[in-house]
Amino acid sequence: MEEGKKLLCARCNVEMVPMPTGFSYLGHVFRTDVPRCPSCGQVFISEELAAGRMAEVETTLEDK
Amino acid sequence: MKETARHTYSVCPVCLERIPATQVERDGAVYLEKSCPSHGDFSALLWRGLVDIDSWRGDEPKIAPGENESCPHACGLCPDHRQETCCTVLEVTRRCNLRCTFCFADGGEGEDIPFEAIRARLNALAKPGKTLVQLSGGEPTVRDDLPEIVRAAFEAGCAHVQLNTNGIRLAEDPAYAARLAEAGLSFAFLQFDGTDDRVHRALRGRGLAEIKSRAIDNCADKDIGVTLVPTLVPGVNTHQIGDIIRFAVSRSPAVRGVHFQPVSYFGRIPSQPKDEDRFTLDELLTAIVEQTDGLVRMDTLLPARFTHPLCGFHADYVVTRKQGLYPLHRRGCSCGSPVTADQNRSFITSKWKRPDQDEGVAETGCCESDLKTLDGFLKFARTFSFTLTSMPFQDAWNLDLERLRKCSLHVFDDGRFVPFCSYYLTAQG
Repeated sequence: MEEGKKLLCARCNVEMVPMPTGFSYLGHVFRTDVPRCPSCGQVFISEELAAGRMAEVETTLEDK
Repeated sequence: MKETARHTYSVCPVCLERIPATQVERDGAVYLEKSCPSHGDFSALLWRGLVDIDSWRGDEPKIAPGENESCPHACGLCPDHRQETCCTVLEVTRRCNLRCTFCFADGGEGEDIPFEAIRARLNALAKPGKTLVQLSGGEPTVRDDLPEIVRAAFEAGCAHVQLNTNGIRLAEDPAYAARLAEAGLSFAFLQFDGTDDRVHRALRGRGLAEIKSRAIDNCADKDIGVTLVPTLVPGVNTHQIGDIIRFAVSRSPAVRGVHFQPVSYFGRIPSQPKDEDRFTLDELLTAIVEQTDGLVRMDTLLPARFTHPLCGFHADYVVTRKQGLYPLHRRGCSCGSPVTADQNRSFITSKWKRPDQDEGVAETGCCESDLKTLDGFLKFARTFSFTLTSMPFQDAWNLDLERLRKCSLHVFDDGRFVPFCSYYLTAQG
């Protein structure tokens, strides 16, 4: 997502706002702020988050 | 007496011929029993029954008649071997600056292998971008050219270079530790049998507690990750397991974990082992929990998956500011998929190496709440990573070929990769 651009919920057409969100993986739960629709609760996971930080957490947690 | 009906194969401890063997349960403990047509009956304690062996072993397949028939005499590796090399051991000297009661390599005196011969071996063993080579001995640091050997290992294509050491030279010669770090040494396995000199004197013939501490300091100065490696001998240091873990935690992040090696009887051994001379894997698991007063929970100690489950355990934590261990894995929460050699190697090296991070992270430490945010976890989990692991080696008495065929720790010699316990197998007398 480009810096400064608004992100609209595809379902509700309202602006998504960063809100604390929990992710669970292999028995652990991590909080981080991600854009969320204040109306329906849908969240937007950017590629940067999915392929970057979340992937790194997964690698650290995966059992050998 | 009831038989567990687990049939396998072993060797005669006298002639080392392959013979059938059976795991037999008596009074809750499990023994390996075998009979050699020439040398009679033998029994060796495998498991004391403190942890359920079947649950620990899981669905590991038995060795069936007709399988691995040339094991262990064709080791090096034969086509029937069931695991790839995770870690390659390369002996770089037979010399040693200690004369220990227990030594798998039975090191001593002699001429060192010339540097160019070592380089040729590194070139032969390296799989570019993959190999983890463990420089062993003897005591590798008696060689002045060890930093050049480390460099040569990377030039050969090794991805990681590990040093097995008693730490004496690292303690006494900080410039030498610096040269190893400059050469790129990935991490060190430091022989560390206990927290006081009584233990060191019993096993190594001299007081070494202060030396071990200084070796850790000198490695810490150069960001060489250190894993403590106690050889556990019943009646000598098995009561110090908790103290060793607490000491290791107190030296995090310089110390990356503890790798326990219950004593096995090969190389230089004082006498034929009796059952009371054994410290079994289930005994170790129980002792860790009992001696750490809640610091380590049993459900965080996981059976080895890449090798045979009876060949060890692993546990992964993050050390918190209050010297707690925040577990990353618990039994039953694993993803459970098969692990490749590349994955296993990448996993262990990422734990035992010190990550490249700014010093501020190591200074501040973390608390459990930091680890519950994505950014906090990423910031602290690698820096304060801490592992508890173990690899109980096998000897001529308790050798189980079901285990040996899954060995991933291989000694490189004469162009061959030989499973560790097969390479060092020593006959009685």
